[in-house]
Amino acid sequence: MDKLVIAGRQFDSRLLVGTGKFASPQVMAQALAACGAEIVTVALRRVDIGNPQDDTLREVDREKYLLLPNTSGARTAEEAIRLSRLARAATNINWVKLEVTPDPYYLLPDPVETLKAAETLVKEGFVVLPYINADPILAKRLADVGTATVMPLGSPIGSNQGLKTRAALEIIIEQSSVPVVVDAGLGLPSHAAEAMEIGADAVLVNTAIATASDPCEMAVAFKLAVEAGRRAYLAGPRAPAERAQASSPLTGFLRD
Amino acid sequence: MKSLQINGQRRQFPPEEMPATLSALLEKLQIGPTTVVAEVDGRIVRPEEFAGTEVRDGQTIELIKFMGGG
Repeated sequence: MDKLVIAGRQFDSRLLVGTGKFASPQVMAQALAACGAEIVTVALRRVDIGNPQDDTLREVDREKYLLLPNTSGARTAEEAIRLSRLARAATNINWVKLEVTPDPYYLLPDPVETLKAAETLVKEGFVVLPYINADPILAKRLADVGTATVMPLGSPIGSNQGLKTRAALEIIIEQSSVPVVVDAGLGLPSHAAEAMEIGADAVLVNTAIATASDPCEMAVAFKLAVEAGRRAYLAGPRAPAERAQASSPLTGFLRD
Repeated sequence: MKSLQINGQRRQFPPEEMPATLSALLEKLQIGPTTVVAEVDGRIVRPEEFAGTEVRDGQTIELIKFMGGG
């Protein structure tokens, strides 16, 4: 498969995986290894003073995976910038998945605060991967200020609803000058394949893998779906037609 | 008593038990290497600077780590 390039860095895998909600660090490590992910997202939170040894990420090999810290929990640009700076200090990696989600019910991203934070972070030298609603104009505005990707949602985070935003995603993909990573709401491998078939450069999946009965097997299923979707896209699928178009010859029938 | 605001909670220390540095504070709280970064009165402190970072009465300290997230 052709390589994914983000901010000049090459990746073989077009499946980004989130590390939340896994039943144990071991299951997470197995699932990550099984699906060949190279970019894994993590969150920053306060140490639990009552349970300070808890370390769900101890099984993540930081040599093998690019840790992509997110700014989850941020409700404003200011909070997201603070989290980004902390993440950079912690990892010495300047990549950040920018999320600003003031709405607690649908966790929809705030476009104004996201753009504001992106502008500041790009100026500070961050490689910014912003999580956005599937808004083509916002996607363009973000690319214009220098984000490395755009990450439009398929449907709300963790909802497993698939590509509810397909029509807008197609416009973003058609117009985007930066890689498009479809993030959030992909509940099945077929959703991931669909995103890749319409030309997404990559997808990010967390809940659907982490909460499956067998996360490892689901991780492999997503890996195969992403590869299948990418190959189908590169193979040049034909558009749907109104009527049947015979695939067998329409001459030489035995009845005449 | 001296006090620190740590991760949103106020903790008091008798003067003789007040930790002198961020490293000493982590040791006292039995917090291991999961802490990846700290913030002292809004200033970011990297782990390699913990030992050399003085802790003073009344400071607000955030101890932060990575967790699973999407």
